[in-house]
Order: sequence, then C-alpha cells, then structure tokens
Amino acid sequence: MKPKMNYSKAHAKYIKKLKKEKIIIKFWQVIVIVGFLGLWQILADTGAIDPFFFSSPSRIFNSIIELGQSGTLFYHIWTSLYETILGFILATIIGVLIAIALWWSERLRKVMEPYLIILNSLPKIALGPMIILWVGSGTKATIVMCVLICIVITIISMLNAFISCDSDKVLLMKSMHANKLQILFKLILPNALPDFVSVLKINVGMSWVGTIMGEYLSSKAGLGYLINYGSQMLQLDIVMASIVILCLLAGGMYGLVVPFEKKCKRN
Amino acid sequence: MEKFLQYRNLSYYYQTKESKIHALDNVNFFVEKKNFASIVGPSGCGKTTMLSLTAGLLEPTSGEILLEGKKIEKNDSRIGYMFQRDHLFEWRSIWQNIILGLELQKKHKDEKALSFADELLKKYDLYNFKNKKPRQLSGGMRQRVALIRTLVLNPSLLLLDEPFSALDFQTRLKVCDDVYEIIKSEEKTALLVTHDISEALSMSDQIIILSSRPATVKKEIKIDFEGSTPLKKREDKNFGKYFESIWRNLS
Repeated sequence: MKPKMNYSKAHAKYIKKLKKEKIIIKFWQVIVIVGFLGLWQILADTGAIDPFFFSSPSRIFNSIIELGQSGTLFYHIWTSLYETILGFILATIIGVLIAIALWWSERLRKVMEPYLIILNSLPKIALGPMIILWVGSGTKATIVMCVLICIVITIISMLNAFISCDSDKVLLMKSMHANKLQILFKLILPNALPDFVSVLKINVGMSWVGTIMGEYLSSKAGLGYLINYGSQMLQLDIVMASIVILCLLAGGMYGLVVPFEKKCKRN
Repeated sequence: MEKFLQYRNLSYYYQTKESKIHALDNVNFFVEKKNFASIVGPSGCGKTTMLSLTAGLLEPTSGEILLEGKKIEKNDSRIGYMFQRDHLFEWRSIWQNIILGLELQKKHKDEKALSFADELLKKYDLYNFKNKKPRQLSGGMRQRVALIRTLVLNPSLLLLDEPFSALDFQTRLKVCDDVYEIIKSEEKTALLVTHDISEALSMSDQIIILSSRPATVKKEIKIDFEGSTPLKKREDKNFGKYFESIWRNLS
C-alpha cells in the first residue's frame, strides 16, 4: 500500500510542477506583450520616438475606434476576409484535385514535374499585372493572386503525401482486388490526412500573403488597401491599426484549423 | 499425393537498365494440401520473386504455377498474402481493418462473410479489441489481425513474406506459435519465405532450399518433429541436425 501512496504523491507533485510551468509560461507571455506595448507608449509619450512615424498603442486604439465608428473598418475587414477565405478554399480544393490527377497518372506527373518546380520557385507577384489585365482589378484579381500563391504548394505537398504512401500497402490493396478508385479513397486519401492538415496550416498564412499582395497591387477596399492608403497619406496610425487587426484575423483563422488537427491526430 | 500447389519448369527473367537478369531457372516442386512449406535461400536469390509469381503479381517467363490444377491468374482470389509488416490502417478500427477485403469486393453486407469474420475474431481472442484502433494493440496482436484480415477472404493458399521479421525476438516466437496455430486450425496450405532457418524449421512440413541466382531447387527436405507448436518443435532432438544440414546447403 505504501509504495502506491508514495507513487501517487510523487505523481501529484509532478502534475503540480507541470501546471506551475504552464502558468509561468503564460505569465511571461503576458509580460512580453504588456512590456512591449507599455515601452512603446512611454517612448512615444516622452517624445523619444516620433509618434507621427512610429504611432503608439493609444493612437492605434483610437484609430481602430474611429474607423469602427465610421463603419469603414468592417467593410475593409469583410472584404479581406472574404477574399482570403474564398482564395483559401478554392486553392485547397483545386490543388488537391490536381494532386489527385497527378497521382492517378504517372505519365502526367512526369510531364508536369519541371513545370511545377518552375511555378513553385516563381514569385507569384510577378504575375500581378497580367492578372489585373485578364480578370480586372479589385476583389477578383486579389482572389486569383491568393489562389495562385496557395495552389502550387498545395499541389506539391499533397502529391508528395500521396506518392510516399507505403508501396506494400498499395500491394496489399491490390492483393485484395482493389481497383484504383478504391485505392484512392480507402488508402491514399485517409493516409494523407495529416499532411492535408499541415497544408491547411500553411495555406492560412499563404492566403493572407496572397490577399494583402493582391490588395497592394490594385484594390479599393480591404486591409491591404487600408495599409497602402495609410502609408501614402502618412497616417501611420491607420497602417498600424490595420496590421493589428490582420494579426488577430490570421491568428483566429489558424485557431480554427487547430481543433481539426487535434481531431485528425486522435483518429 | 495430391499436388495442391505445383511449380512446373518455372523460369523468370527481369530487365534492369543495365542488363537482363536471370532470377529463376527451371524451378520444380510441389506442396501438398494443408501442408506448410518454406522457401529458404541465400539473400538476393529470388525468394520474393517466387512469392510475387505465386501471388500472380508477376508473370513467369516460362513454365507455370498451378494451384489445384489451375494456372494462377493476375490477382488470383484463391491466394492470401501476408506482408513483412502488418500494414493495418491506423484510421480504421480493428473490425474495419478485418473487413477491408470484403469491402473492396463489395461483400461487406454479406451476412455469411461478416459472421465468419466475427467468428475468427472470437476464436483468436481479438473480439474485445474489435472497436480499438491498431495502435492500441501489441505487435503480436497486430500481426494476428493482419492474418485474420487475409483469412476472412477465405483463400486456399496463404503466402507469407517474412511476416515476423519486423518483430522483436520474444514477440516473434509467440506470434510464430499463434500464426501456426491459426493456419493449422483453419486447415490452410501455406508458403513461407524467410531467411531464418530456425523459423522455417519450426513451422514447416517441407523446406525448399534455393540455390543462388539463377535460383533453382537445390534441395527439398521433409520435416517431421515430435512437437505440436513451433516453440516445442525447436526443442526436438533432431532440430540441430536439420539446421546444420540446411545451413550447409545454403553456404
């Protein structure tokens, strides 16, 4: 009986230590942000840095409130969010479908390989002017940019995941008379689910890059537009306010993917 | 003697970038029904090629392989294949893994097939793990599930491609016993490929020794031990003698 008591005591101690460590980490995370904002505010208030160029937390806060009250803020947020989410979904779906096609036909895969490599290394922003000429400026161009940035990495990552499936597993399926469609749906796709989640996580970041880039190029609304507008009007408060909101939105979208990942791991 | 599985003048060549390789040369032997046969040979002699040919995954260059008098076809449904690793699908439960083959052949609503699967699970002490995921099972249990997944399709010949090589020694002896017991009680004919002489000896009724490439049957040995399980057979007084004889033929 005694050793067990000892064990659980030690165990409780261990759990307590883990909890304590977690609290310490959280504490320091708060300290970092509060310290950073506090220092920034003090430096701006004392004139050590010029708030005209560097803004300050209070000015950013006021700027957000102002933009919010005039209603334009939500319009810009909504535009960017719409472009990003649509681009993200389109790129993910089309990318996975293309990866499946390339997995299906080895010959097609070999033909396309060099082009995929070139497309992957090409900075997609170089295509910007062409996109505007083809689909027009504004929301459409931004979504196309967003899709272009996400899709190549989606195709390459998913294709790699499909191909790297253990060849003995494929052989096992064949030995049980599976046709290619069955191999795809019962082996290749479920096997690539963890990779799919990684792609989603990458695409959250990439789709925001695409949207902001697209909005820089040509747009009349969106957070990228707001940043561009703010910098041209030398209103750094607006620029900073937009960036803060951008951080929150991107973080939130990433947060939406995390429970999905946890669910995948549990299965 | 009934020639259940028969190799007749089997030869096989395959192409590589550099040259044509003569893998098998005029292989002749047969296995009787419900017997357990093992193929041993020096490494790289074409043992796995033999299995792929038998499974119908490759086609002989010349000669033929007959199962119950009928030529083996591509993806022959009379044959069950067991791999080096269990290859259970982690995203499926044990039950879903076991009925995978039925699903692929659209028989997963066939009451008879399903109750057979159920029966096998009960018989081999896996019923309580039916709804568990593969990662919750030990290596030995996983290998048993893999065997049942094959047996559910009711093959008349089982091919085993070093099915224990991924297990540690302790588990290996245990799984050897389990698999042997299952194969014998289901009255299956089995062909095992291995490089482990003791393993071949402890499981087989018949051992076929292949020469190095181009492989041909160097010697065929009938095994007769007292024990009833592979582990007990290892204790037989003639085990060492057989071992030595095979060893000498291999080197």
